Amino acid sequence: MAPGSAQGAPAAGRSGPGMDGGGPAAHIVCMVSDFFYPNMGGVESHVYQLSQCLIERGHKVLVVTHAYGHRKGVRYLTSGLKVYYLPLKVMYNQSTATTLFHSLPLLRYIFVRERVTIVHAHSSFSAMAHDALFHAKTMGLRTVFTDHSLFGFADVSSVLTNKLLTVSLCDTNHIICVSYTSKENTVLRAALDPRIVSVIPNAVDPTDFTPDPSRRDDSTITIVVVSRLVYRKGIDLLSGIIPELCQKYPELHFLVGGEGPKRIVLEEVRERYQLHDRVRLLGGLEHQDVRNVLVQGHIFLNTSLTEAFCMAIVEAASCGLQVVSTRVGGIPEVLPENLIILCEPSVKSLCDGLEKAIAQLRSGTLPSPETVHNEVKTFYTWRNVAERTEKVYDRVADEVVLPMKERLDRLMTHCGPVTGCIFAFFAVLNFLLLTFLRWMTPDSIIDVAIDATGPKGAWTKQYFFGKKRRVKEELPNS
Amino acid sequence: MDLKDFRHLMNRDCMSIGVHPCRVTAMVLKVFFPSCCSSADSGILIGRWISEQNSAVILAVVHFPFIPVQVKQYLGEVQRVTKVSVSVLGSWSNSKQEKEESLSEFLEDLGTIFCHEPWIQISKEGDSKFWSCSILQKHSKNPQEEEIILVYYDQRKVMLSHLHPPLDTAGQRAEDASKLSAIFDTVARSQVLFMTDRYDEGPIKLTHWQSDGVEASIIVELLKQASVPGCMLLTFLLSLLSGICRSRLLKFWPLSFLWSKLSTCEQLGHRLQHLQVISSNKKAQNQNQLMRKANIFVSLLIDVALGILLMSWLYRKNRIGHLADTLIPVADHVAEELQDLLQWLMGAPAGLKMNRALDQVLGRFFLYHIHLWISYIHLLSPFIEMILWYVGLSACLGLTVALCILSDIIELLTFHIYCFYVYGARLYCLKIYGLSSLWRLFRGKKWNVLRQRVDSCSYDLDQLFIGTLLFTILLFLLPTTALYYLVFTLLRLLVVIVQGLIHLLVDLIDSLPLYSLILRLCRSYRLAAGVKFRVLEQQDGKPLRLLMQINPLSYGGVVQTYRLPTYSCYPRDSWASLCKKLFLGELIYPWKHKGDKQN
Amino acid sequence: MAEERRFLSASGVPIALRRRQHSASCRELAVRGPRLQLRSLSAATSAVWLAAYGLFALCENSMVLSAAIFITLIGLIIYLHFVKVDQESLLVIGSLGIQVTSAYASGKESTTFIEMGQVKDVVINEAIHMQKVIYYLCILLQDPEDPQGVSEVVPLFQSSKPRLDCLIEVYKSCQEILEQRKTAP
Repeated sequence: MAPGSAQGAPAAGRSGPGMDGGGPAAHIVCMVSDFFYPNMGGVESHVYQLSQCLIERGHKVLVVTHAYGHRKGVRYLTSGLKVYYLPLKVMYNQSTATTLFHSLPLLRYIFVRERVTIVHAHSSFSAMAHDALFHAKTMGLRTVFTDHSLFGFADVSSVLTNKLLTVSLCDTNHIICVSYTSKENTVLRAALDPRIVSVIPNAVDPTDFTPDPSRRDDSTITIVVVSRLVYRKGIDLLSGIIPELCQKYPELHFLVGGEGPKRIVLEEVRERYQLHDRVRLLGGLEHQDVRNVLVQGHIFLNTSLTEAFCMAIVEAASCGLQVVSTRVGGIPEVLPENLIILCEPSVKSLCDGLEKAIAQLRSGTLPSPETVHNEVKTFYTWRNVAERTEKVYDRVADEVVLPMKERLDRLMTHCGPVTGCIFAFFAVLNFLLLTFLRWMTPDSIIDVAIDATGPKGAWTKQYFFGKKRRVKEELPNS
Repeated sequence: MDLKDFRHLMNRDCMSIGVHPCRVTAMVLKVFFPSCCSSADSGILIGRWISEQNSAVILAVVHFPFIPVQVKQYLGEVQRVTKVSVSVLGSWSNSKQEKEESLSEFLEDLGTIFCHEPWIQISKEGDSKFWSCSILQKHSKNPQEEEIILVYYDQRKVMLSHLHPPLDTAGQRAEDASKLSAIFDTVARSQVLFMTDRYDEGPIKLTHWQSDGVEASIIVELLKQASVPGCMLLTFLLSLLSGICRSRLLKFWPLSFLWSKLSTCEQLGHRLQHLQVISSNKKAQNQNQLMRKANIFVSLLIDVALGILLMSWLYRKNRIGHLADTLIPVADHVAEELQDLLQWLMGAPAGLKMNRALDQVLGRFFLYHIHLWISYIHLLSPFIEMILWYVGLSACLGLTVALCILSDIIELLTFHIYCFYVYGARLYCLKIYGLSSLWRLFRGKKWNVLRQRVDSCSYDLDQLFIGTLLFTILLFLLPTTALYYLVFTLLRLLVVIVQGLIHLLVDLIDSLPLYSLILRLCRSYRLAAGVKFRVLEQQDGKPLRLLMQINPLSYGGVVQTYRLPTYSCYPRDSWASLCKKLFLGELIYPWKHKGDKQN
Repeated sequence: MAEERRFLSASGVPIALRRRQHSASCRELAVRGPRLQLRSLSAATSAVWLAAYGLFALCENSMVLSAAIFITLIGLIIYLHFVKVDQESLLVIGSLGIQVTSAYASGKESTTFIEMGQVKDVVINEAIHMQKVIYYLCILLQDPEDPQGVSEVVPLFQSSKPRLDCLIEVYKSCQEILEQRKTAP
């Protein structure tokens, strides 16, 4: 096969809808986030699962993130998901340092060589995501942003972040939030038009979280907590709950999975009340081990102080556990009332909730794990998320990207006089830098990347079945 | 360059390569032909057949006429001595004129006498560069056309060179290691074959590489013989010397401590070891040990030569006297400068307002020290010249020893700076330590020694009060101490840097593999990193001709492979940890002492 | 036997790929970069000298001028001898191995020969290099302990950095010969 035809495929993809005989247009989506594997967390698995489902639906997807240790350069994951680990300096909490400009050369190179049509940035904590949005708008690409977290309005850091978010999102084509609370929060924080904000919840893979009642020890009652041990997750509340309930119920056991700076608080509680045999701290868990921890318990406790969409309680419910959680953020939307006991974020209220759950468990009025699992598994699936995200992409693809002049106008009118002018100036600088880069290395001499996924991908599914069969299929082509 | 990270690029084009109609090609046969035999008369080719690589290494040409039985006998003898399976591989015809049709038939017939599979026939016509080469396979079932590659090699260079990285275990390992090392091994082991002289009147006439320097090698042999008693004498003396060094008398605490701190002693011990290595009459087992010995010898020689040069310079025109005359004033001057510095610190240095009482106490303490120091120097001054004169003699032991003595003298003459530094650092360290633990108290935490972590702890009101009081006092006194610490640390660092540079120079002389470097410069083929091939002119229908040349090891590679180990360890801590140590007030040592501490 | 084709390098500089077929199993591929331009050379030299004259006018020390001459000469020598690569060539000999040569502008050649037994494969790969994401050709070396593993990656054409179309050309040429190796018993 001539190299020309391999390059021809993405070029045709760029020419717009109707390339696959009238079917829906295949998008070339670039997911940008600081958070990706091998780091673990909600955003990471969201990006990964969404990418996999979009690839399955025939789009071309690539992920751009920063380098993790020795993992830098270009990597391929399952079904040809291409990941760029860019060598950018990490500043704090896995988020890269930003100067707003220094990432432009590399990101522009990637956007051009992959013929990206939509840039999808994730998480408002990620500096790289905001950088990518900024550059994509300068380059005239369509932009989508997914917000995964809730913010306050009161303290200084929130005020600053909210301002930046306003700047970043005021000319973004579309914003996706994970829950209605999150949408409300984001619309308020970034002063957005609610019509360009969609709600697409997160999902869990229900096949990964199946119940297994045989793993439980029914002579005791086990409460499972799986979360990072940080302030936001309400670990201080947990340290108040543990001694109180352990005194009241001698058969009660706690199983805590996760790692973080607040671990020391739990260790001290354990030592002070001599609960070494009843409170087990498991430390950091791999994603595949979470299910094995969950199925050992009867009740799942979530003490978060703020949460946009709590994946952990869905996972726990999918494993058939009774969930007790704080009533904060988007949590009330996530599960129907018969599956969850909601409490106020205080030690007393949470203790009451747990006692109610223990009473239900003792009386046997709780539904069996299997029925809970069967109910939950219909709620959230990644295929559904991908379908809805695709609709957002379709809508965005028809929209126009603001030209430079209107963009500057929007920035100046929308973001306040001072901030607006500063960022309008930055946008102009960015544009000049882009012009310089285009003059240094014109788009025409940037090699088009060989397509690994998508409708005409080189890494089609058949490849994995062995080379022999593949060669046979290729024969008519060559 | 971020090329380490890689990933197979499974692109469509890569895959489609597999679809190419593959031509059915036979195995390629490689003939390694010594370039010195290219003008030899017709005869038969002897060499080694390496069947797993399908290649023939030709070692020599046996000329006509010969008696086959004698050839076989001779080969058997060679095989016994060299343990290389040398056999007759084929025939070689060098026809100066276009004639001798009958010869080719004769050559084919030879194949039946010396049965070898395959039978290689190489023939050269006139002065043509392009030889024809054919393969006869009588017993093979599929008589297919084999492609032949003729590789010329320089027998002498290949024999003398050593492939790098060298194999640890010779012998059987060389067989399966790699193709090239097998070829190098074959040529090197058949050295015996090349010993037979061209002018020997034997039953068999051979053409191969001839060594010319037989006379020179006789001289080398004589020297070797003569050096044996010399070495024995040296060994005896050395064992005596090391016996004295190891005697119990020198092992008592103050002395052994002193020895370990003086770099001169370390260097002398190091050189003693070197001498022992050289004079040991054990034969070097492999190439590496041989090179090591030679490197040590050359570096020792150059070191001593430089030392004697230095000595001859020092003892001319009463330079020692001049040196001694300037040394005392310099030491005095340094002490005076230090006094001025202390006076400055006791005032308001750089406009900083210090705690007056503490400042005065510290300043007086240090001033008293300098006073002691100056009187010590003056006590010493009449003897300085004599000491220098005797110390200068040690330069004949080598430049490195002289440099080490210099470093030790600097150390001794700046002892007061060292003392100041230690006092300052201890005081500062104590304060930092106290502050950090009181800061924890301040926050209601304490360090748990058993669990090696910070626990929360509830203190009484009295404890908190006293702790806070102490914390404030320490915090306000910190700047004064920190300033003294800073100034003396900078002075100490200066001395350490000078000493470090001297030790760097010593290490350079100690560790540079000079012999290997000279060898690389003059006989670059002796140290081979590998080979390189050059494609020679081609003609259709004739076999591919390649010239195999030796790719010499790069200079960096030579230094890396043959670097001699040095005794001093460099500090293993990085710049960051050094800065941390300086900040926390932990003592830093000059590089050598550091190594001692770790041992 | 020899054919020459023009391509561009990843930075847009014209390069020439010359393919030479010595025999069925021996092939040489050479990428020749652009020659040293007199224009750029004189521009660099005059820039250094002008700066030196400026300094000279300021501090009136003639050492500056001699230092400038020295720096230019040393810089030129270092550039020609260690930096500027004229030609990078790849000699693939079916049964022997792969030889990688780069010839510097001063005539210095550095050669590495990799035996066929060590070569696992020749592949095209992607890497991030100097604010660019480029394709490059590399030789994968067999790990002696593990037949599936790769012990080292030897990147090819490091200084000329040809674009993908040129690399595919070279790749196909190499694979044709490597395939012969695999079909051979």
